[in-house]
Amino acid sequence: MKTSRLAIAAAMLIVAASCSTAAPATQPPVTDAPTGAPTSVPATATAEADCTVAVSWNNFQQPRWAAHDQPGIKETVEAAGGTYIDQDANLSNEQQITDVDTLISRGADVLIILAQDTEAILPAVERASQEDIPVIAYDRLIEDPDALYITFNNVGVGRAQAEAILAAVPEGNYVLIKGDPGDPNASTFLPQGWDEAGLKDKVDAGDITILNMSGDSWPDEAGTYTIAWSTETAQDNMEAIIDAANAEDQTIDAILAENDSTALGVVAALEAKSYAFPPLSGQDGDTANLNNVALGKQYVDVWKNARELGKAAGAAALALCEGQDMAGLTMDEGLVDPSVAPDSLTAQDFETPGGNTVKSFILKPTPITKENLNLVLEGGWVTKDQLCQGVDAASADAPEACK
Amino acid sequence: MTQIAESTRADIPPQAPTRGGIGDLLRQTEINFRLFGMLVALGVILVTFHVWSGGTFLRPENMMSLAVQASGIAVISTGMVLVIVSRNIDLSVGSIVGIVAMTYAVLMTDILPHVVGLGVDFPFRWLIALVLGVGLGVGIGALQGFIIAYIGVPSFIVTLGGLLSIRGVVWYFSRGAAVTGLDTDFRLIGGGAEGSIGGPTTWLVAAAASLAIIGLLYYNRRRRRRYGFPLRPMWAEVLLACLGVLFVLGLAWVANNNFWPRGAAEQYARANNIEIPAGGLFIPSGFPYPVVIVIAVTLIMTWVATRRRFGRYVYAYGGNPDAAELAGINTRWTIMKTFMLIGGLCAIAGAIAAARLNGATLDIGLSYELYVIAAAVIGGTSFAGGIGTIPGAVLGAFVMQAIAYGLSYVGVNSPGQNVVAGLVLILAVGFDTWNRRRGS
Repeated sequence: MKTSRLAIAAAMLIVAASCSTAAPATQPPVTDAPTGAPTSVPATATAEADCTVAVSWNNFQQPRWAAHDQPGIKETVEAAGGTYIDQDANLSNEQQITDVDTLISRGADVLIILAQDTEAILPAVERASQEDIPVIAYDRLIEDPDALYITFNNVGVGRAQAEAILAAVPEGNYVLIKGDPGDPNASTFLPQGWDEAGLKDKVDAGDITILNMSGDSWPDEAGTYTIAWSTETAQDNMEAIIDAANAEDQTIDAILAENDSTALGVVAALEAKSYAFPPLSGQDGDTANLNNVALGKQYVDVWKNARELGKAAGAAALALCEGQDMAGLTMDEGLVDPSVAPDSLTAQDFETPGGNTVKSFILKPTPITKENLNLVLEGGWVTKDQLCQGVDAASADAPEACK
Repeated sequence: MTQIAESTRADIPPQAPTRGGIGDLLRQTEINFRLFGMLVALGVILVTFHVWSGGTFLRPENMMSLAVQASGIAVISTGMVLVIVSRNIDLSVGSIVGIVAMTYAVLMTDILPHVVGLGVDFPFRWLIALVLGVGLGVGIGALQGFIIAYIGVPSFIVTLGGLLSIRGVVWYFSRGAAVTGLDTDFRLIGGGAEGSIGGPTTWLVAAAASLAIIGLLYYNRRRRRRYGFPLRPMWAEVLLACLGVLFVLGLAWVANNNFWPRGAAEQYARANNIEIPAGGLFIPSGFPYPVVIVIAVTLIMTWVATRRRFGRYVYAYGGNPDAAELAGINTRWTIMKTFMLIGGLCAIAGAIAAARLNGATLDIGLSYELYVIAAAVIGGTSFAGGIGTIPGAVLGAFVMQAIAYGLSYVGVNSPGQNVVAGLVLILAVGFDTWNRRRGS
């Protein structure tokens, strides 16, 4: 009696376990568009009605993806009659490999992958290539020579951040706030952009002093990392940095924060210490941070119009579905906004840190300061209410966009 | 009747025979050595960082930063002591903090002004949000507590499920975006120059606390005499009184030597037509509100744990669940109450976190459960149940934060901080376990 009960329980557990791994029930909606139900088909559209574009997200919970990237991809795909399906890996590498398997089983013709880790994703990419499914590396690099890399120029983002801050504060004491140490954007690409804008040269020349070095090695020990890009952690770290600066009688003249979630923590720390607001950088164009730019608490926010990136990826996916060769892939003129579009509309070679050469479309980011806040309004990124919350429109300091 | 009265007055039982020596003297003071040891450890940590930083660490501003950063964890850890003492665990505290903080933010920026129609000028609008948030925290605690106590699902599982699902729900509030722009009065809860009670009030609080310490010692001595318990020697009472008062006054002195930043002071002076003296205007900040909240919560929780039936029931259940049940204690209701209590404390910690951030993000409160449990355990709470003190847990929270803040201050990077925090936890609990084993 006992053994048969155990056997039944074990069987149920196995069934339950396999059910749960097959359909990871994570928070965001996993949507399926009805096949062959186009909303508007342009006269020149080719027969893409049976193209299934599958997207593997790594962290759908971050606001940007649901708000901008997903609509960009989905609308482009569905407008041409394709099908959009997706999965979210919730920051887990193992989960992402399972997700790619699931998407392939669900009939993916093209895969768009936002890799949690550039190398851990390779088994999934290999499986896709075995099934002759083209792979697009979306926003994050995949170290595979056959994946099409569509991203914003992350080094360019860093360069834009540092260019804006260095122009405002050419000399003085800087604080560097970096993101998660495991993210190559935080450890490699963005600091590379900072140096391209001249940060290292200025430090070497003695014009700029970095207050929060954790050692002597550049750039690894320059600045403070923030695990998981967490706002609270950035806030606590920044408070300690402000205290240390006050103790040594040093003023903080500028802060280079790698993204908006860390910049938000920095602003909170500055307010807690009544420190006034030295020029501060950020990235992503999060609503709260754009509001801070309007309020004068953040100086520059490098905005990547992710909807344009989604459109580019969606269009590339449809083209690959048709069987077009990656090497000759060309973006339609006018698909994405000209200020954002890459220099060349044909896929270009890109040298990866791992030594591979991939085909790529690298879009340009837009640095947003108080002066050009109207761009985010015009792009439909935020509403005026959200942007100008707490701004006194009558005051002389108020940005044009809020008046 | 009179016989007993006479005997208690006349025959005060003699104190244990003294053999001299420091060990004996210390034992007579009846100081809780574990707690005292932790205070010493905290002191050692602070001094180490002071030396490491080249002599700049021990400044009032830094100590206040440290205290404010530790306050959220400290508040929750007082509740975690009762949960662990009663042989349960609550892994969902971080997620409860997250959902309540996001609730405060959404209430104050969206629902109260736009849906209910209470504008920014509505008096005590922040208080309405606060009460609703605490209600939500207690409610979630009640739900979890019900499933644990009445349905019998292990607390590890229920709160693990809570950890995952509650954090997931937070996403739906704002589709992951940060919600900022809270009421100015609410933001005072987060500390800072204006979020402090000011110089005079701090001295008042310190004076009241000193009187309370002396009063408690006196009252305690009288009760012992009345019931025939051995008394502490008079010199021990005086010593304890002096130490306690000095400690409290010292804290107040540190708080009052933390001055408003010059910019804020000058702004205040201009707004109130005060002349700025030659050396600058120094406005003492005093205790920040988060620290006041921690002190108040610690006192109330200690009182609940030691002087209220509920607290004694929790310890009784933790020490021997069957005996407690047989003795007639409504153990299920007691357990459910511990989870409701910690839910409410999470809401308070969430208020501090949201006020400090002037808003809420998707990951606010992330990983709190680890630090809260570590604080309680470092403070002497045992997973076997039945043992643990509230002041110990609060001290444990400050020890952990002292390490985190100190490492940040001297420039050790975040991964390094995690390495040290983990090692300290193992060391502290290992040392305590070894000590207990040695003693028994």
